[in-house]
Amino acid sequence: MHLFAEAALLGLASGPGCLASCGPVLLPALAAQGKGLGGTAGLLSVFLSGRLAGYLSFSVLAWAAGLAAPADPRSRALLFGLVDLSLAAALVVYALAARRCPAAPAPSRLVSIEKRVRPWTPAALGLLTGLNICPPFVVAGARAAETRSLPAAAAFFLVFFVGTAIWSLPLVAVGGLRRLAGVAAVARITLLILAAWYAYLGIMALSWRFSHV
Amino acid sequence: MSEEAKPAAAGKPRRGIGKSLLLTFPILLWSLLMFSRTLMQPGAARKIAALAALALMVTLFFLMVRTRQTFRWRRVFFVALGFLFPLGFIYELIALRGSMSIPVERMLAGDTPFCFLAIPMMILPAALTRTIIFPGSVLPTASNPHAVSLMVALWLGATLVLGKGWCAYGCFFGGLEEGFAAVARKARLRHISPRWRLVPWAVLVAIVLLSAAMFQPTYCAWLCPFKAVTEYPEVNSLETAVQTGIFLTLFLGLVVVLPVLTKKRTQCAFFCPFGAFQSLFNKINVFDIRIDRGRCGDCVSCQRSCPILALDKQSVEAGGTLLSCMRCGACVDVCHKDAAVWHIKGAPVNSAPEKARLMYLYAAWAFAVMFGGSIIANALEKVVGIFV
Repeated sequence: MHLFAEAALLGLASGPGCLASCGPVLLPALAAQGKGLGGTAGLLSVFLSGRLAGYLSFSVLAWAAGLAAPADPRSRALLFGLVDLSLAAALVVYALAARRCPAAPAPSRLVSIEKRVRPWTPAALGLLTGLNICPPFVVAGARAAETRSLPAAAAFFLVFFVGTAIWSLPLVAVGGLRRLAGVAAVARITLLILAAWYAYLGIMALSWRFSHV
Repeated sequence: MSEEAKPAAAGKPRRGIGKSLLLTFPILLWSLLMFSRTLMQPGAARKIAALAALALMVTLFFLMVRTRQTFRWRRVFFVALGFLFPLGFIYELIALRGSMSIPVERMLAGDTPFCFLAIPMMILPAALTRTIIFPGSVLPTASNPHAVSLMVALWLGATLVLGKGWCAYGCFFGGLEEGFAAVARKARLRHISPRWRLVPWAVLVAIVLLSAAMFQPTYCAWLCPFKAVTEYPEVNSLETAVQTGIFLTLFLGLVVVLPVLTKKRTQCAFFCPFGAFQSLFNKINVFDIRIDRGRCGDCVSCQRSCPILALDKQSVEAGGTLLSCMRCGACVDVCHKDAAVWHIKGAPVNSAPEKARLMYLYAAWAFAVMFGGSIIANALEKVVGIFV
């Protein structure tokens, strides 16, 4: 019980940091679909589910490897280089294929790709933003690694996630911007700029990894 | 003017010399007050430069009053500001450090001169954590007189009065583009998709969010084209080489080549996040430009003349400009039917447009003399100092 209270407090305390870290992807991703409050809440829940999956997979890794893998700088560079490149690819697909944008209709081939992956894209964005190392996440990972069982480690991360996710709930208000002309199109362009940024981060991380064999 | 359409104001009766002088008198007094300290300081070069700047500012205002035209005389000042600012700034950097590049240790010491372009990125971190994420100093110091507090106070005051007029009367970067846009006689690229007008908003959202996430002013670190003519990080790694490459590419593309080809301020219209941010303040500004639908002949010359594409068919039909209007006066000067007019919110359209124009110009020019005039005088002093 004491452990879960610690996880909840850690999540609540580090929520603003998590929000700042996910914000660049989450905010434009919610606005890009041009949905109302209900639709935005749905997107947010799918995104957060993906993020939860990211947290849980990290907890498995932390428990199994005792944080040895992510602590090694070369493994970390490889992991986060690949995560950043995957995030960039997901952002491009998500941005170019978002439907509700009469000012800039998406290319038909991308729309067909997006139709196939639509249920998964917000979740993929959540998963990929969930897989990152920030100080509270390392603390959570270290505590999870100390637990005696895998379910306990996963439960610790689940409670930690709930604590951080509460801070994301006000973002549902983005749905209220739907009536403003151009918001969805601006959000899509923002996602493309961010895709370039994450692609750069990924390339730099991988080039560092392979220059330090 | 962007498309060099014949200014309609050229056909209007000129104001008499006596009345024009009388209307210029307050600006003359203000300019004397602003330059009095410099004029009393020792040094012939300083005095000559201050007198030249004073004469320039007062003469241009007189011409705006006498000819009833705004854009062409404002452009003379604005282009001079745009080209002289980097000259004076680079001169000071080289005198201070021997180079335009700033080493990391000087950044850590808070010696980076503060630039207003960083303001939108500072708001979230400052509000949430009371931290200023710019590597400068809050108060002026001996090694860094360009402090955060001074520039923010100046920007805030000017913005409350001028709205997006900051981009037409204060931004020392916009003058470079306006200068390059004036080079060619005709635009070679005419059809520009209106979609591009959304990009500054997207850049604004991206840099504000990334700055909050990374706790650094990301636009200054990665995307500012004007690093190419001010100061940039010392190139000593792959990362700083990439950054410098981006600065140079954006500068050459958006500030030099595209303005020449389009005769528009392309960086301002299609990239600058600060311009997008500044547009929001037009909502609270009492001045605006309106289109009198009763007089408008739908000739679209106002749309063609706008340097930043702040007018389109829908906005003209609605009787106004888009939110991004910077009050440069190009559309008013070019309108042959006096349909595009200066306006004070709440008053009937076309009730006393010349009075509204003069009221705005007094505020804008007072600011231009104080801010831009001192920058021009400072740079001229360096030039005159070579000969005197």
